[in-house]
Amino acid sequence: MFRHTPLRYGVLVLLAAAALFQAFTAEYFGLEILTEILILAMLVLALDMVAGFGGMVSLCHGALMGVGAYAYAMLTTKAGIAPPVAMAGSVAITGAAAWVIGAVCARSHGIYFIMATLAFGQMAYSWVFEAPVFGGDDGLGGIARLDLTMIGLDLTDSRSFALFCLFALGAAYGATVLILRSGLGRSLSGIMHNEQRMRALGLTVWRVKADVFGLSGMIAGLAGALAAQHIMFVSPGLLGWTVSGEALVVVILGGLGTLVGPLVGAAAFVVLKHELSAVTPYWHLVVGVILIAVVMSRANGIFGWVEARWGARIDRRVADATRKQQPGEVVSDA
Amino acid sequence: MLETRNLDKSFGAVHVTRNVLLKLERGERRVILGPNGAGKTTLFNLLVGELTPNSGSVHLAGEDVTALPVAKRARRGLSRSYQKNTLFDGLTVEENLGLAAAVHTGHATRLWSDSLAKPEVREIVAEVAEQVRLMPFLHAKVSEISYGVRRQLEVGVALATRPLVLLMDEPTSGVGPEMAKGFHDLLNGLPRDLTLLIIEHDMDLAFDVADTITVLNYGEVVFDGLPEEARGSKLLKDIYLGSWEDA
Ligand SMILES: Nc1ncnc2c1ncn2[C@@H]1O[C@H](COP(=O)(O)OP(=O)(O)OP(=O)(O)O)[C@@H](O)[C@H]1O
Ligand SMILES: [Mg+2]
Repeated sequence: MFRHTPLRYGVLVLLAAAALFQAFTAEYFGLEILTEILILAMLVLALDMVAGFGGMVSLCHGALMGVGAYAYAMLTTKAGIAPPVAMAGSVAITGAAAWVIGAVCARSHGIYFIMATLAFGQMAYSWVFEAPVFGGDDGLGGIARLDLTMIGLDLTDSRSFALFCLFALGAAYGATVLILRSGLGRSLSGIMHNEQRMRALGLTVWRVKADVFGLSGMIAGLAGALAAQHIMFVSPGLLGWTVSGEALVVVILGGLGTLVGPLVGAAAFVVLKHELSAVTPYWHLVVGVILIAVVMSRANGIFGWVEARWGARIDRRVADATRKQQPGEVVSDA
Repeated sequence: MLETRNLDKSFGAVHVTRNVLLKLERGERRVILGPNGAGKTTLFNLLVGELTPNSGSVHLAGEDVTALPVAKRARRGLSRSYQKNTLFDGLTVEENLGLAAAVHTGHATRLWSDSLAKPEVREIVAEVAEQVRLMPFLHAKVSEISYGVRRQLEVGVALATRPLVLLMDEPTSGVGPEMAKGFHDLLNGLPRDLTLLIIEHDMDLAFDVADTITVLNYGEVVFDGLPEEARGSKLLKDIYLGSWEDA
């Protein structure tokens, strides 16, 4: 079960403030990077939901994002469907695909689950790569962004689009927290702690896993629809397994099962990538060394490490402070 | 209420359950005795569906449930506790009970509300906590409570699904005699219409709660009757003394 702590709230506020600051002050290139971070953040949010809270380590979330991107591209360019409807449609299509993957893979665990999801991802990749309708290797171009001029937002402008992505990420984060705190989310945590017992209590375990995987797929699909609009072009590379692998790296770097950690991880990863790749073509090596260091340190990622070191102290301070301010109120731990 | 017909199970060449016939009336409290390796836990696994029998059938409330998976049998009112604690370790006592109560009330799969906030769920949690004496520990994590209290929670989680039939696999295993006695008082306090099937190692404790006794040896039912008859049985003494000497 997910809980907000003062530390988590604090980091969230900092992240949001930094994103807003960047959105209002940065020039074109900075805005592109910001948007890239926001879309990756949405993908890793979706991945953390299943991997961190349900033990379902997925290697097909990149492909799911790709499905969302292609669904949006196909619906708008080939079927001539209006962008808002196409966005909803791509979210629904990706959710349905993820639900099926979740249902099929629900009975496998550990390495077998990872392999099964990888196989699904690769199937999607090769289908998109081979089938002429999807434009094959060349991909599809000429993808339109959502038209929000009626509320005064021109999304063809990078700044507005970045703000739009930030808003979408906020909504996705809120939805994720609500899902994890629902009856379904509690059951998911029960399954992660002890699947056998949940089944013995009468829970249809595969359904819970499939439902959560489907919901996570919807968020990945939304990230995909945004990615398609961001670069206004989709290509099979979007569905490649390296995208899924990168998302997993970001989740682990940030802190599995903390939601906030992977968001930090996404920002760190994209910034690092751009800074380093400007200096050296071997930037993957540096990321690799950092990942190894984080994994070897046995901390739960960067944010997990901060939480383990200072989390309790900060939470206690904040609790004391609020108690002093409002003597009548009980500080809840929820 | 719960019945088996000619239940048989082998693991390879090892014949663990032999032609077991069992019949529990509603509200009956039956204790299963038997030495180590007699096949008691295996019988439970067959009853709840965690194992599939080679032949024979299991009937719950008059219906053949042999083909039903674990979760479906559980939803029809069959609940069990484990010989080895099978709890949700990172969670609190309240959350452990809540997960079970949520499944029973149908809140375990709801997306729009928190199951533990539901009055029906809270009511069951409070009631079960009272029944198995967990009230003082509700907000403690499993890792923070003693082994004996965990044994109580193990039964509490099984009870929180509001079963018709409750199977308990050595609920007092590993706890001291004092606590075991307390546990049996607790069992005696459970609702009379709840059907209980309890695996117990200690004969004296068994006689404390049992309406009827079944003795398993090498997977076979070697005794089935009233506690008074069991007490005098030479067969039972031989099996038990034999096993104690082995152990
Ligand atoms: N999954 C399995 N595979 C192979 N053999 C098994 C399996 N489970 C149990 N057995 C064997 O079946 C026999 C009965 O085991 P079971 O656990 O049912 O005994 P028990 O009566 O519960 O014993 P105890 O009092 O020690 O709990 C033992 O010899 C055990 O080794
Ligand atoms: Mg046993």
